[in-house]
Amino acid sequence: MQEDLLDILCCPLDKHDLELEATERDEEEILTGTLTCTECGEAYPIEDGIPNLLPPDMREESPA
Amino acid sequence: MLGARKPGSVKGQEWYQADDVAQEYDEKRFSKGGRLIDRREKEAVLDALGPVEDKKVLEIACGTGRFTAMLAERGADIVGLDISGPMLQQGRQRAQSAGVADSLEYMRGDAGRLPFPDDHFDVVFAMRFFHLADTPEEFLAEMCRVSNDQIFFDTFNRYSTRSLYNWALPMGSRLYSGEEVDALLDATGLELVSAEHDWIFPYGLYREIPNRVASTLRWLDDGIRTLPFGDRLASVSYWNARL
Repeated sequence: MQEDLLDILCCPLDKHDLELEATERDEEEILTGTLTCTECGEAYPIEDGIPNLLPPDMREESPA
Repeated sequence: MLGARKPGSVKGQEWYQADDVAQEYDEKRFSKGGRLIDRREKEAVLDALGPVEDKKVLEIACGTGRFTAMLAERGADIVGLDISGPMLQQGRQRAQSAGVADSLEYMRGDAGRLPFPDDHFDVVFAMRFFHLADTPEEFLAEMCRVSNDQIFFDTFNRYSTRSLYNWALPMGSRLYSGEEVDALLDATGLELVSAEHDWIFPYGLYREIPNRVASTLRWLDDGIRTLPFGDRLASVSYWNARL
């Protein structure tokens, strides 16, 4: 995802702003990282350049 | 696996998220007679949306991105949302090779709980989505929430050839009558701008037959629809609405 996508993204649960923590970037975009809701604290992963904004109850079950 | 079905669930959630399904999806759906369907659907989207340059567009259930890439090429500022990571990866690769990745973003998300503020987009559309939706009103309302103007979607029709084979499909589709769509529009405060009704013969048939036969069938399809009440037999409707 490109960083300016952050301007329009919000938490799917409470619609508050998200804070970006990028762990891997290339010239154009963020490849891996986390988007965290500034209100409820829910974290949404960015994987292979695609942010996963699925609410937690719809994500695949994975070992915590 | 997903847990118990939540409100606002969508049929085929697991199926659409499988890697092998994503890889074969375009090949299976849009080769042979499926090409005619692809072309018609793209035309329906372009007709309804009009010039898209600098418009903010959201597509719900964008799959592998055949519409998002097309609209990005035409200058739209577009976001494609889907539940399936593998499908979106295909879309991402397509966008990168088409050189439109700059104005196109993909993300995973739930159509019932969109990660956008109210009224953000000029157009929100969903193709081949509502037949999978268990709670269409909830999804349509959420699309309306994030749009400031236009909503576009298609439905498979209840009183049509679709109902002849719908029961045999692995997931079955939700079919809609005109009255049901009217009620949905009413409930969400949408005003119908235009509707097109097409495909006397259902998609499933076109997909199974070679190009030449499909063209002949399509010709027959066009002919029947010009007859009185021909529209009423159509298996697909495209609905263009405004807030």
